[in-house]
Amino acid sequence: MLSYLIKRLLGTIPVILMVTLAVFAFVHMLPGDPARLVAGPEATASDVAAVRAALGLDQSLPHQFLTYITHTVQGDFGVSLKTRRPVVEEIGMRLMPTVWLTVIAMIWSVALGLLIGVVSAVKRGKWPDYGGMILAVSGISFPPFWLGLLLINLFSVRLGWLPTGGYGTWQHFLMPSFTLGLGVAAVMARFTRSAFIEIAREDYVRTARAKGVPERSVIWHHSLRNALIPIITMVGLQFGFLLGGSIVIESVFAWPGVGRLLVDSVSYRDYPVIQALVLMFSLQFIFINLLVDILYVLVNPEIRYK
Amino acid sequence: MTLKSLLISSALGVAMLAPGAVLAKDLTVAIQNNLTGLDPTNVNDTLSQTSLRLIYQGLFGFDEDMNLVPLLAESYESNGDATEFTIKLRHDVKFHDGTDFNADAVKTNLDRLRNPDNNLSRRSLVSMISDVQVVDDYTVKLVLDAPFGAMIASLAHPGAMIISPAALAEYGDDIDRHPVGTGAFIFQNWAADTLEVSRNDDYWKGPAKVDNVIIRSVPESGARMAMLQTGEAQFVPNFPPELIKVIENNPDLTVETSPSIVEYYVALNNNKEPFGNKKVRQALNYAVDKDAFCKIVFSGLCKPADSIIPEGLSFHVNAGDYDYDLDKAKQLMAEAGYEDGFSTEIWANSNTESLRAMQFLQQQLSQINVDLNIVPLEAGVAAQRIWSIETPEDAEVQMYYGGWSSSTGDADWGIRPLLLGENTPPNMFNVAYFTDDKVDAAINGAISTANPEERATHYETAQKLAWEGAPWIFLGVADLIAAQTADVTGVHMLPDRGFLLEDAAFSE
Repeated sequence: MLSYLIKRLLGTIPVILMVTLAVFAFVHMLPGDPARLVAGPEATASDVAAVRAALGLDQSLPHQFLTYITHTVQGDFGVSLKTRRPVVEEIGMRLMPTVWLTVIAMIWSVALGLLIGVVSAVKRGKWPDYGGMILAVSGISFPPFWLGLLLINLFSVRLGWLPTGGYGTWQHFLMPSFTLGLGVAAVMARFTRSAFIEIAREDYVRTARAKGVPERSVIWHHSLRNALIPIITMVGLQFGFLLGGSIVIESVFAWPGVGRLLVDSVSYRDYPVIQALVLMFSLQFIFINLLVDILYVLVNPEIRYK
Repeated sequence: MTLKSLLISSALGVAMLAPGAVLAKDLTVAIQNNLTGLDPTNVNDTLSQTSLRLIYQGLFGFDEDMNLVPLLAESYESNGDATEFTIKLRHDVKFHDGTDFNADAVKTNLDRLRNPDNNLSRRSLVSMISDVQVVDDYTVKLVLDAPFGAMIASLAHPGAMIISPAALAEYGDDIDRHPVGTGAFIFQNWAADTLEVSRNDDYWKGPAKVDNVIIRSVPESGARMAMLQTGEAQFVPNFPPELIKVIENNPDLTVETSPSIVEYYVALNNNKEPFGNKKVRQALNYAVDKDAFCKIVFSGLCKPADSIIPEGLSFHVNAGDYDYDLDKAKQLMAEAGYEDGFSTEIWANSNTESLRAMQFLQQQLSQINVDLNIVPLEAGVAAQRIWSIETPEDAEVQMYYGGWSSSTGDADWGIRPLLLGENTPPNMFNVAYFTDDKVDAAINGAISTANPEERATHYETAQKLAWEGAPWIFLGVADLIAAQTADVTGVHMLPDRGFLLEDAAFSE
């Protein structure tokens, strides 16, 4: 297990390098000159040139890439072109709001999604199944933007129970995490249901029933445990996506997260921030994948890595 | 349910259940975009500049009608040819860190701003100054290398606001994270999307009436409106015109509209055929119904343009009109040899309002057989394809829809960057590539004197000639719209889309 982990960790290095190169190339291929945006609307051509030199953007691309890599390896992500704050600080103050929102949304939506999925599978073709799947389809179909405004209208404007947006107390989390998690819960419900239905046809489930294992144990112990492998894969994927920050949710609820930062940075061609964010998102995905692999082992001891 | 009916129902909801009274005397202002920085000499967007007026002040500034008023200056004198300005300063002002405001502070600031090595983005405001002389503790003399009649207006621009020299020495380049000024509020915190300032009890005009001011970026306009309805925000500047109807009937909210100094136009690239032909340019002007433009693009909250600059700028004159007249337009097109029309494309920044405007123009111009292809450009792309073009011959732009506001409140910055022959991109914004010797002479004449009457004469000439020359399709001047809770007084929008919050107070 340990040697497997080390191997996996080492294997991520070329992936990270490739990602870094791709991000750098992509960012620098975007049309638009950051020096122009930094220098300001009234800057003369020579001012813009001076700014370009000051930012190091007049160097050749390979040279810039090398500088970028050397600095990144040392943990220096540079300074935001827009706000002139260090990139680490800029991302730091927005990361936790996004992480907490993601974690809370994932917890309730995975739990609820699993429950609905299992119930639907067990009661297949009966009203709980139809009810659950209607909920799931609605959850996937609600545009989060519309749902968010609807919730604000109901709970903030009409009832006055919850703040319209922003980050702070637990009340601030309720509407954004609900809106964010709804789609995940719906996907999880549908996914769990189909995984469960597959498992129900397996011989060991029939055997368990035949030898008189109580139905409750058949469902929650024998079936769910085996259905968990694809479900965990799905959770990992969803988690990775959500950690990138939902631009729609963060906009509607004025959530100070990394999704909004990325959009703002792209429109300002804030190279250092874009590069650092995309690198961070890739690292998150790599880390989550690793976590998912470890969970596989924990869930199913039969899986052995060599 | 559409967004609109949803919002209407939310307004009805508030009417039934009024939100509770605000306890703390904190003023929260909800704006769309994030601030970009806190160093007034190095930010380019109106929102950041105007927010910084809470903390900083200039030698001169503007009142709510954009009239130039002295702030840290008491008075000024200039010589006849506008090359020397002697400014008397206030005696009773201290920066938030206790440093005295005096002539040395002014010199430190202006020298810092005009030094090209500092790469400050607002340098052009003072780049004509060749020497800042400290005459005595409270008198400075600015010596210019060329006449510049709009000097005082430039000093009123937020980019020329005065920073504590002690703070500049202490923080250097980090000054934009530790702003220290003379304004009514002291900087507290600038987080991901929120700027917080608190009352300066030693403010030289007397302490403000609210404890704290919080400026929060809330990108979604429906959410900003909800914040007003729940009392989470008290002031929402630049309120979207299409949402006005929703809150108009709410007794707890008020909406204020007033003319802005943001004029919208379509620049026609005079170097490109057929826009090199004045008759074609005039025909396009006659073919567009400006009243309809105002109704469609700005929900009627807009006035048709009557000059190259809006009425709110100093030295504006009514330069004439291009009343909607299709017969005349067709006749001019025929005289220019384009009775069968032509095809061209129009560029603009990609946003809802610009798209609406371009679609409207497409429909209007189709009436004289001009076939318009709409090309929205993302900001970075626009910067590259329009504003970074090195030589006029390389310019691909044919028509460009946009707006301009002169944050100095003066005709100079409303005309010179846009229509002086040499001010084409990448240096300035003459994207019409318009050149007219007489207009150039009038613009240059106006900045070579500080005498208001002479400047007025020059600007009248420039406006009338440029109007007749029709480098643009003149469209309209949009209104400002601000929404606020009824219990707040003293918050105003400025005609350049900034705002004044210093006199804010709660009426309870």
